Amino acid sequence: MNDIISDDRQAVYEIGYLLVSSVPEEKVSAEVEAVRAIITGVGSSVIAEEAPHKQQLAYTMRRKTVAGSYEKYDTAYFGWIKFEVGSDKIEAVKKAVELHPTVLRALLLSTVRENTYLGKRAQAIAAEFNAKEIIPDAVVADAKEVVAAPATIEEMDKSIDAMVKEA
Amino acid sequence: MKKQCYFSQQNIKHIDYKDTEILKKFVNPHGRMIARKRTGISAKYQRQLATAIKRARFMGLLPFVAR
Repeated sequence: MNDIISDDRQAVYEIGYLLVSSVPEEKVSAEVEAVRAIITGVGSSVIAEEAPHKQQLAYTMRRKTVAGSYEKYDTAYFGWIKFEVGSDKIEAVKKAVELHPTVLRALLLSTVRENTYLGKRAQAIAAEFNAKEIIPDAVVADAKEVVAAPATIEEMDKSIDAMVKEA
Repeated sequence: MKKQCYFSQQNIKHIDYKDTEILKKFVNPHGRMIARKRTGISAKYQRQLATAIKRARFMGLLPFVAR
């Protein structure tokens, strides 16, 4: 019973982080090591990770500096790390990663041990999905009606006559 | 004909916020999520998808608004 209530159960977490683009390419690995050290420092074991790669952000992110002004970032290095740690230590890990000077933004999530990231498989699936786009049923029904409508002038005249007779 | 859930068909059990190629298929050109009525995804995966899109937006992988 106590085991269930206790707060130090091992759980799987994932931290996704953005490193500021002002870090030179050759120093990124050192920054990753620093983030990794924060995570492993509390006795967690790393399950999987992906090294950060520079990418264009979907929108401009702002970060307040110590001086009070804002720094703007359009690009950043995005990386993630999946690890297992006691749930009592995760709060400290989250705060430490967020406060790391080169970390622009970090996202902590509770996840599962098995691999959830499709990576390159996602591209193949997405390409396949392109072929059968989402088309609402109503639009499909309208398209069928248009195809079924008479094409030539004579046929149109006949159909109009038929409609007049009906009226 | 009844549409089958896309994620069930592909045998995807967890929708990851990092798989932006897939997530992009479920947002419109303005960057807004497409309703379940149009996607034909089961309620379970539509909920997962919504969470994944919101996480991807926070991390700057997807836009909050586009155009």
